[in-house]
Amino acid sequence: MNERIGQMKARVRAGEHRALRRKITVDVLSECEEEGLSWPWRAARLIRRQCEAEQVVIDPREKIVFTRTLPAVIPPIYKPEDWARLTAGRTLHELGPISNICADWGLVLSQGLLGRKSAAMAALQRFAGDKAAVEFLECAVETIDAVLALAARYAVAARRMGRPDLADILERTPAHAPRSFHAALQALRLLHAVVWLGGHYHVGLGRLDQYLWPYLKADLDSGRLDVPAAEELLAEFFIALNKDSDLYPGVQQGDNGQTITLGGVTRAGRDAVNDLTHMVLRVSRDLAMIDPKINLRITPQTDLDLLGLAAELTRKGLGFPQYSNDEVVIPGLVAHGYSLEDARDYAVAACWEFLIPGRGMDVVNIGAVSLPFAVDAGIRGGLAAGAGFDAILKITADDIARQVKILAEAYAQLLLPPAPYYSVLMTGCIERGQDLAQGAVYNNFGIHGAGAANAADALAAVKRLVFDEQRIPPNELLAALDADYAGHAELRRLLADQAPKVGNNDDQADRYLTALFDFLADACEHYGRTNRGGILRPGTGSAMYYVWLVRGHPNMREPVVGATAEGRKKGEMLSANLAPAPGAGVRGPISALQSFAKINYRRVCNGGPITMELSDTVFRDPESIRKVAMLVRAFAQIGCQQLQLNSLNVATLRDAQAHPEQHKNLIVRVWGWSGYFCELGPEYQEHIVARHLYACES
Amino acid sequence: MTTGIVFDIREFAVHDGPGIRTTVFLKGCPLHCSWCHNPEGQSSVPQVISGAGASRVAGVEYTAQALAAILNRQVAVLQANEGGVTFSGGEPLRQANFVAEVIDLLEEIHILLDTSGYGSESAMNLLLARVSMVFFDLKLIDREAHRHFTGCDNDCILRNLAVLGKSGVPFVVRVPLVPGVTDTDANLAAVAETVRGLTGLLRVDLLPYNKAAGGKYRAAGMEFKPCFDEARPLNINTGIFKKANLEVHVL
Ligand code: SF4
Repeated sequence: MNERIGQMKARVRAGEHRALRRKITVDVLSECEEEGLSWPWRAARLIRRQCEAEQVVIDPREKIVFTRTLPAVIPPIYKPEDWARLTAGRTLHELGPISNICADWGLVLSQGLLGRKSAAMAALQRFAGDKAAVEFLECAVETIDAVLALAARYAVAARRMGRPDLADILERTPAHAPRSFHAALQALRLLHAVVWLGGHYHVGLGRLDQYLWPYLKADLDSGRLDVPAAEELLAEFFIALNKDSDLYPGVQQGDNGQTITLGGVTRAGRDAVNDLTHMVLRVSRDLAMIDPKINLRITPQTDLDLLGLAAELTRKGLGFPQYSNDEVVIPGLVAHGYSLEDARDYAVAACWEFLIPGRGMDVVNIGAVSLPFAVDAGIRGGLAAGAGFDAILKITADDIARQVKILAEAYAQLLLPPAPYYSVLMTGCIERGQDLAQGAVYNNFGIHGAGAANAADALAAVKRLVFDEQRIPPNELLAALDADYAGHAELRRLLADQAPKVGNNDDQADRYLTALFDFLADACEHYGRTNRGGILRPGTGSAMYYVWLVRGHPNMREPVVGATAEGRKKGEMLSANLAPAPGAGVRGPISALQSFAKINYRRVCNGGPITMELSDTVFRDPESIRKVAMLVRAFAQIGCQQLQLNSLNVATLRDAQAHPEQHKNLIVRVWGWSGYFCELGPEYQEHIVARHLYACES
Repeated sequence: MTTGIVFDIREFAVHDGPGIRTTVFLKGCPLHCSWCHNPEGQSSVPQVISGAGASRVAGVEYTAQALAAILNRQVAVLQANEGGVTFSGGEPLRQANFVAEVIDLLEEIHILLDTSGYGSESAMNLLLARVSMVFFDLKLIDREAHRHFTGCDNDCILRNLAVLGKSGVPFVVRVPLVPGVTDTDANLAAVAETVRGLTGLLRVDLLPYNKAAGGKYRAAGMEFKPCFDEARPLNINTGIFKKANLEVHVL
């Protein structure tokens, strides 16, 4: 990282650019009302006015420009009472606007916005009689023109400031296809930032090493650019992505979905790793900032050099890259109706969910099924009725189905607001004459199966201690659960210590882990098609539910669970994603991987990583880093689906809790994303400190 | 059926030999090194370790079959990643029959013996016939100093080192650097002199003393009373080994 980039990073971390933000509110509503605009037109007008209200900022030290000057609040396009009427009886996904998908950036770059505009013009002729289609296409054109006008203002200013390099680029792109790597990054910066201006969030960047590679390769081949200069441009682009993190909505700051997915295979099935794949990893490692978040697609054959480079990035403690195993993910997607070509083209959403850039309008997280709640219902119901263990499993499966149904029914009423600009960036919306809100190629819903290890441990404990060994009478267990183990310390110890636990490659516990996900998959399959013509995709993630499911959260559809039979007291957190339950004794990462490899991922394809913390002492020397690379390869060899590997020093975290001012730059992985430790809520900080450390010190 | 007492099984032990390894820690050690960082490994019977809030029992009795079964479940993964199984301690020579039986029950895999060398010659030979590599701890060459700081003399250690040197099994000599005790130029020179010319010697590893060593004592219900000055700076003199034409690493 050269000095210019170092200073740029320091300026962004210090928040210098925030002084440029204006405290204005753009009024879009008045004109919408006066003109009596339709919803699509209001959405288009919003993009137009936001683009116009942006002030041009060209910092002489920057080669890639665009600095947001508008505040976080997105101007309303409806009066509250009208909005209430519009959305009455409907379900909005999170904040409302389309979020957490990935555009077809490669398509937009290669066609240029004018190429997209021609496509819209052609479609307008084809759909001449179709009022809705015509309106959508006119709105799409309106947003294209708005973005082009913004680019033109930047170009004029650049020319005036004596920056012909920038002016040349901005006069040509994003209207036309970029002629250089630099121009491609500049175009992407602008196109991407405007999506945020429209109120969308978790705006994914997809397979950047694929769609930008042709531009970089041409530059390198012709000698117009050398590798260090290319790295510098890439670094600058990455820094730019960090400028506005504080404006973006998320459960915790840092949860902003600016993810990149590297590697894997091409749509035709060939190895997709290229020099840019390596370059992104190097630049991300050297920069050590929270954005963009990196995913790396691998197979058991991925070479150790690439994995070693990735391990060096892990060593930075940013909590990425996150790995996914193509050999498991692609067949899973195909089994859920994705075409083989599209499945090979998958990228990773904000956290871990798999989606197809340009083609997926999947809502990948409509909520979580609380597996601990379902198991608790099974155990309490079964034991109270004096029934056998099979009855417990049956009640558990029924409760899982019940929870799935609640989520799916809520989303049967899903209302996605029109998104004319995002539609321009997708594959085929313009060509079909249909707004993205009406759907894309894939319109599936994802459901998390949260708290799996705790839930499986509870079943395993009851099976062994209540049924097989009969060391705990059913009534006593029920009484202990009701009392939150008060006065039942011995019984609690028995449940916690004397029963098999997930994470030890022990079938006595793992069989319930796989059973729970099979129940979830059964329930999703049984539900069938949704109103949007899609299916329900079960997954293994937990997101923030490892906290919410035990502590509750306003307006949450998911049930809250009290004390559970694996010896967990009320309020104690669950495992995040796929990890042994907090406090469960495990031998280390190999057995844990082997446990989680037993899940039938062909049926459970929404994503959700195995989460592991390695002590930072593991990364002391190159040989150990190579071993981390081998561990990642082992993850793929064993047949797991997704892995999130973190480097953690507990002493540092404790110190950061005590002296946050001294650890402003300390970054940690939270659930599917990374953020600054000191900016997290205390309960999230605690969970990170308490997470399993696979300590490997000699 | 032989049984043994194990105080920990730890996977992905990156500093316990080549590749991805799983280390079995055998409980019980005849030495009582003043700097020992595995105090729960010294006693040969299970004992309660009470940490903050929770307590656990260190020391589980396994039959050779049961332990081998656990290890065999991951042999393929270790094998595919240039690794294997390490037997450490405590002192594995002390449970040599058990260790040998476990090894005989394991599928084909790289085995590393991590030993203090303290044990009978027959125990040493029993295991040498079964292992692919040895980490041999060499602490002090001076007999009296050895007795003072570890509670035992080093006769059998030096004899087993010689046995190892003749066995043809590749090995690494590991020297824990304890300030003012093992890190003196005199001791390091004596170590270099002792190991020089032994066939199979791959290199010498120097392991700087870790101040966290005392951390586990209280939890194990023991008292940490080092008879050396913990704060004294270490003498990491690799030159002595280089001069003797020995490859040396500092871990
Ligand atoms: S030989 Fe090792 S285990 Fe035994 S007392 Fe010495 S340091 Fe501890």
